[in-house]
Amino acid sequence: MINKKGIHAAFIALALTGSLLTTAPAFAAGTLTVSSPQDPGSWDPVDTFLVNWASVSTNIFDGLTYRGPDRKLVPGLATAWEELDGGKRLRFTLREGVKFHNGEPFNAEAVKYTFDRLLGEEGSKGPQKSNYAVIERVEIIDEKTVDLHLKAPDPVLLTKLAGYGAMIVPPKYIQEKGEDYFNTHPVGTGPFKFVSYEPKVAIKLEAFADHWGGAPKLSNLDFRFIAEPATAVAELQAGRVDLVIPPTIPIGMIPTIQGDDKLEIVSTPGPTVYALRFNTRDGITKDPKVRKALVLGVDRDTIIQSILGGQAAPIASFQGELSFGFDPTMKPLPYDPEQAKALLKEAGVAPGASVQIDVRGNDATFNEVVQAVASYLQLVGINATIKPYETNVLLNDIIPAGKTGAMFQQSWGGWTLDYDNTAYSMYHSGEKWNPYDTDADLDKLLESQRSITDQPKREEILKQIANYAADRALEMPLYNLNAIYGVSKRVKNFTPVPDSRLRLTDVTVE
Amino acid sequence: MTAKAANTRFARFRNLEFILGVLLAGGMCLAVLLSGVLFPGGADKIDLMARLTAPFVNWAHPLGTDPLGRDVLARVVAGGKISLLVGFTSVAGAVVVGVVMGLVSGYYRGFWDMLVMRFADVQLALPFILLAITFIAIVGGGLTNTIVLLIISQWVQYARLVRGSVLSLREREFIQSARAIGVRDVKILFQHLLPNLIGPVIVLMTLNVANNILLESSLTFLGLGVDPLIPSWGGMLADGRTYLQNAWWVSVFPGLAILLTVLGLNLLGDWLRDSLDPTGRTSR
Repeated sequence: MINKKGIHAAFIALALTGSLLTTAPAFAAGTLTVSSPQDPGSWDPVDTFLVNWASVSTNIFDGLTYRGPDRKLVPGLATAWEELDGGKRLRFTLREGVKFHNGEPFNAEAVKYTFDRLLGEEGSKGPQKSNYAVIERVEIIDEKTVDLHLKAPDPVLLTKLAGYGAMIVPPKYIQEKGEDYFNTHPVGTGPFKFVSYEPKVAIKLEAFADHWGGAPKLSNLDFRFIAEPATAVAELQAGRVDLVIPPTIPIGMIPTIQGDDKLEIVSTPGPTVYALRFNTRDGITKDPKVRKALVLGVDRDTIIQSILGGQAAPIASFQGELSFGFDPTMKPLPYDPEQAKALLKEAGVAPGASVQIDVRGNDATFNEVVQAVASYLQLVGINATIKPYETNVLLNDIIPAGKTGAMFQQSWGGWTLDYDNTAYSMYHSGEKWNPYDTDADLDKLLESQRSITDQPKREEILKQIANYAADRALEMPLYNLNAIYGVSKRVKNFTPVPDSRLRLTDVTVE
Repeated sequence: MTAKAANTRFARFRNLEFILGVLLAGGMCLAVLLSGVLFPGGADKIDLMARLTAPFVNWAHPLGTDPLGRDVLARVVAGGKISLLVGFTSVAGAVVVGVVMGLVSGYYRGFWDMLVMRFADVQLALPFILLAITFIAIVGGGLTNTIVLLIISQWVQYARLVRGSVLSLREREFIQSARAIGVRDVKILFQHLLPNLIGPVIVLMTLNVANNILLESSLTFLGLGVDPLIPSWGGMLADGRTYLQNAWWVSVFPGLAILLTVLGLNLLGDWLRDSLDPTGRTSR
């Protein structure tokens, strides 16, 4: 049945491209079909935190600011902005002549409506509101100028305005059609406009010729939801899909794609970092010496080169090189089993001591990694057992309640690529992800950088935090995984983005 | 062709089933029991530099290596330990529970019969996977829990089978007379009834051992089963899934091991059923 639909869709696409070619020759043509692993179910910006929502929606919506693959913040729907009142007020000058896909004009009203909605009743139903809670209110100065009044200065807010909950939505459209209709029929100001959506199957977009940044080079953009990696790769090989976006392709399938001369693997360092964090409250991992010994005892470089096929980078703190707050002078602890054994002896840990590692059961690649970790630990005299949990159980019951074994898996990656988000969640006392540790000094450091808008100064403090956490060996940092894209060679001009926020305006197909 | 000739040919076929069954199942059991001697410490030794070595190339790893560079042959043999352990213990457990329940409900009828059989009906209405996921979500995965889960899901079959036989046997003269001369219930149940109905139970057991090996494999495959560090056939199948296109041997060999063991046990079960079947016996 799916096949039939695919063929059907292909015919329609062919027909469409044909007619577009004949009727509007100035308009570049071509359909790009993308395989995405997840259907977020609702396309409303306030409803989701899934990266694959952003893979599609970055093409439909615009924010006041924009951040592309180069991670530089540039004007989006706002052409300029300035900080007033010591960072507690942000003034935006809005772009003129911008229209939503339904013809509604973009203006200060739309901005106010967007944030009132996000921070009001509708926003409370979704997970995005808390990310923007620092915004107190929006004031319309004139048709083309708005002020965001903040409760406190927020150094990361301008970045947050480039994605997710801060996407500008059309007030009249939502008020007329209703919230439910908007969930499945999104309208924004972005380079592609919505055509159709079939839940769990596909969403189709077409070029929006009146986009303020110029019309995109593709005429049609289709996203298909394919959760099973083997199916996605097979569709890519068969040519029914042109691009498979992360997180889909497991490391083990990379050689399959590389072996096909019509396809290629394109990867870029991503935001996701993996670590095994320690229970710093009980057992042998209470002792920082033991924690350091365990880190020294695992040959992480070899794991990256072999199991991960080089598609990851070693890390010294719980962040990757793209992260704001990354300290390039920090080096990961070396692989040194002798020193590890000596440290364990010094700490009074007898050979044969056991350690339980809690992991997510469904993560095939990480499962291999953790088995290798366990066997390295065996070599320094630690008996490791692995306990797989259903992902939701581990994330909602086991970790927050402090019921993990001596070590547990943490995979983390925020699209803002700012170490603050990671460090605060992992190390600040009382946070959901920090069930075991309380450290007054670390708390103070973490809080101090939250109100500083002087970025270089803040970066210094973040680096200090990273070093402090590494000194205490609060986790075994493992690696920063690449974002891996499987691309058909008929796709030209594709730039991989680290955070799945794909904007496919410059891409063409043959 | 005379009737006698047909019969001997039939008997020979039965022997073939028996021989093949013993060879396959027995051979696998033997290899598994001796795995410690055959491959001392070989199943867990990780060698990341020799990962995904192809089979039949390097004789240090005759069946190749898995994604962590562990020897596939050693792991297949060692992995059988878990699979067979789960297969046999879960069936033994289910038989004990099921037979007792069946005897009691068939012999006493009335309230206990009602209770046990309605409970059995409810349980039969639950799909196995639903039961498994609920059970493991509540009490967690692991070896013991997997065995308990299989016992819970299977005792019903034995209870039903035994109850059916008891219902007809209890009206027979030898039971009636035993009761008339005042033999105690426990003695009637276990000395007079049980030996007369154990035949079909044994047959069902052999078939279920095979079935449970498959179930354990699928549970582990789904990530609901045992610790990934302990080799098991289902776990190996799951590990090999993402490598199917470029390293088929990671999942094909454990799959073959399951196939051969289950085939052997099924043949044995078939042979047992034929030789225990009263109608088959009279025709011989």
